[in-house]
Amino acid sequence: MVLIPWRGKQREREPGRIETSPLAALRTEMDRLFDQFFREPLGTFEWPFGDRGWVPPVEVTESDEEVTVRAEIPGVDPQHLDLSMVGNQLVLAGEKKDDLDRSGRECHASEIRYGSFRRSIPLPANVDEQRVEADCTNGMLTIRLKKIQPTPAKRIEVKGR
Amino acid sequence: MANETITKTPAEQTVTAEETRSGLFYRPNVDILEKADELLVLADVPGASREGIDIHFEDGQLTIHAKAPRRHENVEFLVHEYGVGDYYRTFRVAETIDAANITAEYADGVLTLHLPKAPAVKPRKIPVKA
Repeated sequence: MVLIPWRGKQREREPGRIETSPLAALRTEMDRLFDQFFREPLGTFEWPFGDRGWVPPVEVTESDEEVTVRAEIPGVDPQHLDLSMVGNQLVLAGEKKDDLDRSGRECHASEIRYGSFRRSIPLPANVDEQRVEADCTNGMLTIRLKKIQPTPAKRIEVKGR
Repeated sequence: MANETITKTPAEQTVTAEETRSGLFYRPNVDILEKADELLVLADVPGASREGIDIHFEDGQLTIHAKAPRRHENVEFLVHEYGVGDYYRTFRVAETIDAANITAEYADGVLTLHLPKAPAVKPRKIPVKA
């Protein structure tokens, strides 16, 4: 990512300036998302495309043999989970469905977020895509990915004349 | 940890006082909905097992305590966005609740509590006789 000098609210103080080219409009939109991302802590970042989503918090640890990724996804049916590997990134996607009939009910607290999520997690090591285990119990997703062990260095002898 | 009130006054429906407890507890996120005949409480307690959930209702105070055991000690995290510990939250319920018939379900890390209202506070239509 390119570092852009912080302009703060400067843009708003330039009345009459209209972004005309599509590229400029895209840049404005990117700036807005970028600003929004840093203004809000990760957990409350609103997915700007489509329905109001959420971002599950994750935890990544590694041992000599494996990388473990855990995520808190309470209320997500394991059948609505979609895990994939894209390059060296683990992609978690899914949906927390709100299937409660809320009509005719007075709401006293609404802290739980519903909707779909999608998150890419860069992995700290090369892993074997064929040896990935995923488990979802009590709203806690655990994914274990076995590392590809580097082949031991082979010593090459140099023959002298 | 907060001690909250569920009342019928529209202006101050939830939060009232703070109550601290020793130790590290996490405050679960909740949804609270009210129907004519019951209060419904949903709480996100990921990582807790069904056996480790303790629900108390006494003197109009509802307490949720869910145990979530620590998984590892002295591990270096590459990404660490949430802590692991027990969940604890109390609510003061202003409605008269039929305590004997409170039921709870637990699935996929979400606790669902049904608190039926006592018959006395249920809305009742009284027919007028001729």
